[in-house]
Amino acid sequence: MTDRRPARREFPVLTVFVVGGTALYAFYRLHHALTPFLLAAAFAYVLNPIVSYFEARGLRRAHLVVCGYAAAAAVGVFAYAGLKPLIVSETELFQTRAPAYLSQLQRTAYAQQAQLTKRLPLPPKVAEHALESALGGALSVLQDLPSHVLALLPFLAHALLIPFIGFFFLLDAPEGVEGGIQLCPSRYVEQAIHLLSEIDTALGNYLRGLIIVVAVIFIVSFLGLMALGIDNALLIAAISGLSSVVPYFGLAMGILVGGAMAVYQFGTLWAAAKVAALFVGIRLVEEMLIQPIIARHSLHMHAMTNLFALIVGGATFGFLGLLFAVPAAGIIKALVSVTWSWYSSERGLVLGAAEGAGVPYT
Amino acid sequence: MSALKSLKRWFIDPQFARKKDFLRSLEIFKELRDRELGQLVQALHSRSYREGEVVFVEGDIGRALFVVETGAVELTRPGAAGKPVVLYHLKPGDFFGEMALLESLPRTATATATEKTHLHLLYKSKLDSLLNGEPRIGVTIMSHLARLLSARLRRLSSDPKLISEKND
Repeated sequence: MTDRRPARREFPVLTVFVVGGTALYAFYRLHHALTPFLLAAAFAYVLNPIVSYFEARGLRRAHLVVCGYAAAAAVGVFAYAGLKPLIVSETELFQTRAPAYLSQLQRTAYAQQAQLTKRLPLPPKVAEHALESALGGALSVLQDLPSHVLALLPFLAHALLIPFIGFFFLLDAPEGVEGGIQLCPSRYVEQAIHLLSEIDTALGNYLRGLIIVVAVIFIVSFLGLMALGIDNALLIAAISGLSSVVPYFGLAMGILVGGAMAVYQFGTLWAAAKVAALFVGIRLVEEMLIQPIIARHSLHMHAMTNLFALIVGGATFGFLGLLFAVPAAGIIKALVSVTWSWYSSERGLVLGAAEGAGVPYT
Repeated sequence: MSALKSLKRWFIDPQFARKKDFLRSLEIFKELRDRELGQLVQALHSRSYREGEVVFVEGDIGRALFVVETGAVELTRPGAAGKPVVLYHLKPGDFFGEMALLESLPRTATATATEKTHLHLLYKSKLDSLLNGEPRIGVTIMSHLARLLSARLRRLSSDPKLISEKND
């Protein structure tokens, strides 16, 4: 068989670098302004399969989105009405006891310090110094907790803006994609769709999986904390569940906030250890039962790659970086995979006839 | 009853229904059920091409099947004097580039829109997703492609010109 391929197209490396670099720089400069749009895009992307499910039955997208929003608003109102007494009582409890929490924690911590100093297999002075540093660090983290929570307030301010922008994303996303394909030079259409398809496959499953993880952690930790008799179980479960959008952060927040609450309530480190065991248990169950289902079609990235992405994302873009570090790494992976597929196909590196091709047609 | 009908009409997307009807009219998709056709419409991408616009060039790596909805496409290959030789004229309802759904190999001809043309693209990885998620859709398309491939192979193997070349 003769190779009839004409002159190869050279990959527009310079164009890709210039356009990609400019886009990245613009994103870096504007990321604060783009935050609600990014969150709204993620919101719409997660909800899109529900709209698509009904759209495949021939229903109008616009009507589906409007009806879906109306139904969600009704469910939200009913859910709020049902949960209102619990939310109000938890908020009041937290407000009245908040100042006492810290002083009680400090008292318990220093009371335990003396006992622990004796138990540690270290010279007394060294053990005392080590514990003082550890406790001092932990308490300063707890003291700073309100400011960390306040830092999340701008994101809560987007609570109404995100569904509003997300509405338009849900409504017009298919036209947007088709418009992008129409603008793409005709010879690159197949590559463009290849890239879109790779990103969609990886990212879609990751984001939808994340929603399941957040919901499971929230529900299981709420039930677990209730069983342990911990006050503000709903608030702690919500903090832990929502923090789970950043890998490993949910576990840390659950142990830290739940443990602090347990120490305050029961005055012993044993109570905090039980809370820590609960959250570690939830994490293990999630790893063993939920992640295998989610990861089957997920990003398939090494834990170290995730960690690296989180550190770089957090250092560059703050909380937004932490939130989108792993999906962004997934997009980069898809880009690399598409580029390699394009290059290897163009250079004939993956050509090969199927086995048995030499047998005559009979 | 009429209120229910009006409500249904209000909810039904006429554009979507038109696309489904078009796909149903094609030999490759005719065995699919209504809901499956709906899923297929969602898996397809559409693009319009101007007259003379090249869809793909011989040697490009193929990754999609193209279905002509409106307009016309010409498949060409360079002839002996370098002048393009027209292999086939595709009209609405025809599809081409289907072998890209089986393997990503270089295209064996150049496709050019000869008038304002609207094409639907079924991308290989979308078909792979359908094969996994909705096997009946994937199997229907694959089985049609296998029959098509077999017919072409049979025609080639019974071509007297090829047989005489082989005997020489």
